[in-house]
Amino acid sequence: MEVGRLPISASQRGKLISAGYTTLSSLSSLSPSDLALGAQTAWDMLHEDEMFPRITTSCLDLDNVLGGGINCKEVTEIGGVPGIGKTQLGIQLAVNVQIPVDYGGLGAKAIYIDTEGSFMVERVLQIAEACIEDMTECNGLLRKDFQAGQLKMHPNNILENIFYFRVCSYTEQIALTNYLDKFISEHKDVKVVIVDSVTFHFRQDFDDMALRTRLLSGIALKLMKLAKEHGLAVVLLNQVTTKYIEGSFQLTLALGDSWSHSCTNRVILYWNGNERYAYIDKSPSLRSASAPYSVTSKGIRNSASNCKRIRMM
Amino acid sequence: MELLEDAQLNKHVLSTGCEGIDLLLQGGLRMGQLTELVGASSSGKTQVCLLATSNVAKKHMDGVVYLDTGNSFSPQRVIDFIRQNPDPAIDQAKHRILQKVMNRILCHSVFDIFTMFDVLHQLEVNLRSQKGDCQVRLLIVDSISSLVTPILGGGGSQGHALMTSAGFLLKKLAHEHNLVVLVTNHTVGGEGGISKPALGESWKSIPHVRLRLSHDQGSSIYNVSVLKHPSMASGKAARFTIYD
Repeated sequence: MEVGRLPISASQRGKLISAGYTTLSSLSSLSPSDLALGAQTAWDMLHEDEMFPRITTSCLDLDNVLGGGINCKEVTEIGGVPGIGKTQLGIQLAVNVQIPVDYGGLGAKAIYIDTEGSFMVERVLQIAEACIEDMTECNGLLRKDFQAGQLKMHPNNILENIFYFRVCSYTEQIALTNYLDKFISEHKDVKVVIVDSVTFHFRQDFDDMALRTRLLSGIALKLMKLAKEHGLAVVLLNQVTTKYIEGSFQLTLALGDSWSHSCTNRVILYWNGNERYAYIDKSPSLRSASAPYSVTSKGIRNSASNCKRIRMM
Repeated sequence: MELLEDAQLNKHVLSTGCEGIDLLLQGGLRMGQLTELVGASSSGKTQVCLLATSNVAKKHMDGVVYLDTGNSFSPQRVIDFIRQNPDPAIDQAKHRILQKVMNRILCHSVFDIFTMFDVLHQLEVNLRSQKGDCQVRLLIVDSISSLVTPILGGGGSQGHALMTSAGFLLKKLAHEHNLVVLVTNHTVGGEGGISKPALGESWKSIPHVRLRLSHDQGSSIYNVSVLKHPSMASGKAARFTIYD
């Protein structure tokens, strides 16, 4: 019996015929899982996960609670009060994704979407130089017996591999999210997309909250799809707001309840005394834990025991 | 009369793998019914889904279809759950059996409602022509609210229509093929600052069973309460623990 005669929808018939199944007999030998185009078994997914290394944050404690670093194929939301280091972390990740495979990195490129204008190129250069210094040091320590393979990276190379987009309104942000799929198809070595911050254009002057919820959930789905299809990490930086919960005002991440479901993982950055801490708030597979980190002239690093915040006397 | 026979013969109960929830639901998730898990962010909805997935694949040895909208399906977590209750039979031929169990779980990534319809229709065709090597018993959509929220509201009624037809399709699949269908939904702010389930009034009447989950911050204790159940009073609650 011809596949064309089967009582199924036109789109399915088209898919079967384009996959090469023209008669019923060719279908009968397959199991349902073969026909499930676009699905994977959990076993295959487990082994695929092992092929995607994580992006380090350059802070060992933070990497440990994150299970090794920021995971590809997932959307990670990072939020915190102003001055806690969100942009610094974003820039550090944009640099660290470029660490060559030989040094345990991904050797890939980054997309940095700036909505607030807080991307300072001089700072990126500083962090890039520090990263190369660390790698050269590592090179010197580990490869003493080999011919010292000169690290061929120059800070300018790192800057070249960060694709920077400046967004000035929410419509531009939505348009850019739609355009990213095409852009990434043309630049297949992009492995991280950082949005700093996803909140900015949706906070002020938005009269229609219902519209805002719809737009944000639409953006969230598109970013999820981007992360999954291209196997990259999406990092969204978010601001905080106060919310009236259980009789008191508490700090929560901005953009509302619906948005809090739009990420795979969520990390909250906060002050504990004079130290900066990161807390895993939401994750399908990581335990809830806190880790201290610090922001130094070299970028994000492990926190030292002395306090880093300058006190005004 | 025929319905009663069908209910007694076919519509059995599937354990979730969590005693607290099973006790509350008088045995577990019922086949042929659409169960909804509602909860704020991080309240344990995905964890319960992954736990039920591992339990069905391991103990009941049935197939699971997992529709993931937020890249939250974690194979590693499923393995953790499988390994939690060590079974002497499994330990012996560990690797091969683990592979068999994991191969019963099929995960689709869906990022819009139309893709979900495609996947469900394909599943319907597959179920009708069941080859018999692995019977699908559990269908999970995590989460259905992220697929519906972008299209709901805004003046047109297409969003509502799509949401209700999705609900009806899920219920139909559950009833005709004796599946347990589990969906997750998030919460939104309601009047007076009290949170309520998302998706509104039209969705309220669609699932057979609605459970509300919440999580005590910083501990591994979760609370579950019944919002709606065909044969139980709402308000009944229980606590359960999910270990790391």
